[in-house]
Amino acid sequence: MNISRLLTSTRIIPCLALTLLLGGCMEWDYGNDDETFDIPGRGLFITNEGNFQYGNATLSYYDPETNEVLNEVFYRANGMKLGDVAQSMTIHGDKGWIVVNNSHVIFAIDINTFKETGRIEDLTSPRYIYFVNDHKAYVTQLWDNRIFIVDPSRYEITGTIEIPDMPQGTGSTEQMVGYGRFVYCNCWSYNNSIIKIDTETDRVVDRLTVGVQPTSVVIDKNNKLWTLTDGGFDGSPLGYEAPALYRIDAETFTIEKVFRLELGDTPSELQTNGDGDRLYWLNNDVWCMNVTASQLPVQPFLEQRATKYYGLTVDPGSNEVYVADAIDYQQQGMIYRYSPDGHLINEFYVGITPGSFCWKP
Amino acid sequence: MTMHNATMKYLSIIILLVFSSLCMKAETLHKQLRQVQVTARRPMKEIGVQKTAFDSLTLKENIALSMADVLTYNSSVFVKSYGRATLSTVAFRGTSPSHTQVTWNGMRINNPMLGMTDFSTIPSYFIDQASLLHGTSSVNETGGGLGGLVKLGTLPDVPDGLNAQYVQGIGSFSTFDEFARLTYGNDHWQSSTRFVYSSSPNDYKYINHDKKVNIYDENKNIIGQYHPTERNRSGAFKDMHLLQEIYYNTLRGDRFSLNAWYINSNRELPMLTTDYGNEHKFENRQREQTFRSVVTWDHNRSNWKTGIKVGYIHSWVAYDYRREITTDNWSSMTRSRSRVNTVYGQADGEYSPNRKWYFTANISAHQHFVRSEDKNVILQDGEKAIVGYDMSRIEISGSASAKWRPIDRLGMSVVLRQDMYGDRWAPVIPAFFIDGIISPVGNVMLKASISRNHRFPTLNDMYFLPGGNPDLKNEHGFSYDAGLSFDTGREGRFTLGGGVSWFDSYINDWIIWLPTTKGFFSPRNVKKVHAYGIEVNANLAVTPADGWLIDLHGSYSWTPSVNEGEKMSPADMSVGKQLPYVPRNSASVTGRLSWKTWSFLYKWAYYSERYTMSSNDYTISGHLPPYFMSNISLEKGLSFKPADIQLKLAVNNLFNEDYLSVLSRPMPGINFEFFIGITPKFSKSKKNYTDL
Repeated sequence: MNISRLLTSTRIIPCLALTLLLGGCMEWDYGNDDETFDIPGRGLFITNEGNFQYGNATLSYYDPETNEVLNEVFYRANGMKLGDVAQSMTIHGDKGWIVVNNSHVIFAIDINTFKETGRIEDLTSPRYIYFVNDHKAYVTQLWDNRIFIVDPSRYEITGTIEIPDMPQGTGSTEQMVGYGRFVYCNCWSYNNSIIKIDTETDRVVDRLTVGVQPTSVVIDKNNKLWTLTDGGFDGSPLGYEAPALYRIDAETFTIEKVFRLELGDTPSELQTNGDGDRLYWLNNDVWCMNVTASQLPVQPFLEQRATKYYGLTVDPGSNEVYVADAIDYQQQGMIYRYSPDGHLINEFYVGITPGSFCWKP
Repeated sequence: MTMHNATMKYLSIIILLVFSSLCMKAETLHKQLRQVQVTARRPMKEIGVQKTAFDSLTLKENIALSMADVLTYNSSVFVKSYGRATLSTVAFRGTSPSHTQVTWNGMRINNPMLGMTDFSTIPSYFIDQASLLHGTSSVNETGGGLGGLVKLGTLPDVPDGLNAQYVQGIGSFSTFDEFARLTYGNDHWQSSTRFVYSSSPNDYKYINHDKKVNIYDENKNIIGQYHPTERNRSGAFKDMHLLQEIYYNTLRGDRFSLNAWYINSNRELPMLTTDYGNEHKFENRQREQTFRSVVTWDHNRSNWKTGIKVGYIHSWVAYDYRREITTDNWSSMTRSRSRVNTVYGQADGEYSPNRKWYFTANISAHQHFVRSEDKNVILQDGEKAIVGYDMSRIEISGSASAKWRPIDRLGMSVVLRQDMYGDRWAPVIPAFFIDGIISPVGNVMLKASISRNHRFPTLNDMYFLPGGNPDLKNEHGFSYDAGLSFDTGREGRFTLGGGVSWFDSYINDWIIWLPTTKGFFSPRNVKKVHAYGIEVNANLAVTPADGWLIDLHGSYSWTPSVNEGEKMSPADMSVGKQLPYVPRNSASVTGRLSWKTWSFLYKWAYYSERYTMSSNDYTISGHLPPYFMSNISLEKGLSFKPADIQLKLAVNNLFNEDYLSVLSRPMPGINFEFFIGITPKFSKSKKNYTDL
């Protein structure tokens, strides 16, 4: 048969139609079989932010004893995604509370089975959760001048704490630490203050101005608050300055000392060790300082190795240092585990953009 | 028949194919199949050029289509989109969206802030001629097209006298599309006014596999969970387009035209599948008002021609992200505004001293004035502050080319292009093209080209606040391609054509935006990318019997796009891996079966797996499964004394596939739209609009 006859044959029509119709099938691989976990004992949760607007945040779990790493445990245990930008995790009792910033939700999970036990929905842009007691917790927000009060036992929002003199749309409250009946919180984005909240009245009772954009807050063994500012950026209406480490007396709520870094530095992730006598932070390298030091260290604790350090924690039991490398922020990040004197012990891959850690006691 | 006549016959069939292309109506094509004339010669301007042209029936298949839809089903370009009226960008030959240049009537319309073009904002009904210039071939028109160029334009092709057309589409999810066109034409003057308005709540249902709904007991213990069936939340859109064209032809070699296009778009940005916010308490909305205009003068003589274009673009884009604090009390979290004003000028000249030589020269300038602001920063003292930038930049591009055809079967072309952005000059972009007919039987043609190319950082790349990086280097690289094509046919019975091409390009200093520890993103030159692959296309038009037409077009591309840069960190696993969101394999098939005034169209597209991570990890969210998509439509034309009526039913996602094109963005299942078109018969016209 010549080509002309072949092409003009009417038999070609059903053949072509069949070919096209066969192309209607599609492979899809959502897994629906939930895995069963039961992992008692001590461990480390790593929240991996994922990429903004991708909804690919994940939760990893690491056992320092066995070096076993479990990735994507939230999905594997629950058959659903964790969400978009997992910001932080806090353990209270036998539950872990994962704050998923751009999903406007906080998930509560059983810390041994990773199974969801409940969730708090419809938050503005949640960042951190702090437990006052079993029936009251505070949730800080970005782009909101309110801290949400929630009842963890009912997974409900019960009220708000309005921050005085903080603009509504550009409000920012971040990390919280407790001292006595007060909670101290750093106000980061386009802000420059630490606020003091009375947990009995749920009101802001004091405010302390520090440098531009305090990124984090911790409390040491001497009841000194420490905060680390990032200095803003060139062109910011709030100003652009050299970042600084502030020591604040929790009792008097006054600044005791300021350790100034270099203009252009990008410090973040201020942490303490388990004893509360050493501070750690990121500034390209990993830095460490005794809480009684009178000046900043001149040598880093760990030098970067073309790494993009993004998250940091110190094992409260062993004082080992864990630092997260986000690499290019589009692949599984790497966690490096170092001994207290800076020797590499282990390294393991987790999820995309590992940003924060949570120790399971 | 002499060899020359035979060659010319086959050449004319190619020309015929280009014009008739793939989705031609039966009657029209049938006529053309019988009108094969031995008259044509390959255009000198297209020596060695890899080009995909879309015919008017493809562009005007229905009024609800955007150029994103046309590219999806009629080319192997990957269109990244998450539904109708959402940001739709392309990956052309494995490159990023900003590596595809887009021109409209000669004027570049890429957003100077972002570098890319949103194809969902270009209704295909407003485009009369469209083509893709692949890779190197884009250097003939503009610089910076590392992936290629999408060339769009309008034509003064209107019937004589006063004519009108009105089409309405009513579809699923309360979708309404309106199109109206009023034209007037005579020997000298042509005027066309086109109007499109589309609106929809776009709240299609889907099963949310990413989320579960909890069932609690009275003590707040979870006693059950299920994946909910949800509606697409916050996906409504209202888009209006108005296009006015006026053409004047002196009939003595001079032609003047004015094109003015106004867009008013108001779109919500859909919520992610993993969003647990209340859709009624959040607003995520983008509004756009854009005006584009071009005035053209073309002066044609027997062996030379020249042209001048001047144009102006104004674009205002607002993005608002708001939260309801208390009833009717909304707090603005993001309130960004950008305003772009672009003044454009271009001069072209072409000269052909004889049949063997052809020279062209071109210079264009785009002067951008950009103001980008986030007006929502309110300081603690209550003062409002603006974070943003206010910059201007001139972008000049000039080129000269010489094309030589020593014998009819061989052609060569050299292009030299020089680009200047702001105060930066890029090295000269050289390009060389060659083609030759290696067999007159089947008109088998070999084409090859090579070029160096550059792309300047966009204004946001350099100046966006916070994060802009004024120290960025240009992206640059080499591109090569070679291809083989053939065309054959039998007068009045069938035409068959196809081609295969191989391309290979290296792009250095690839710019990507990365997060910083300060909470914002910043761009850096980080990657070296090797994008290569094969593109195949084939088309067939057959008239098996009188009144019948089968018309098929297919394309396939294999596009590895591999990161070959240095490791960014000792643990980096991305080197040697496919870039995220670039499928290795993609294909499309369009088939039309026509019988008299009936026409049935089947459109099919396939994309292979896309990775979402640079390391190509096969994690739960690290990849998107491959998918096939099928759309059909059935059309019937009716002719009455006062008007022609066209009826059409389109079915999208025929097999109700549950699929994702972008992570966490659900796509609609099977959906329908019915169109009715009315073309009044005001007077005896040479032709009327009959396409729906």
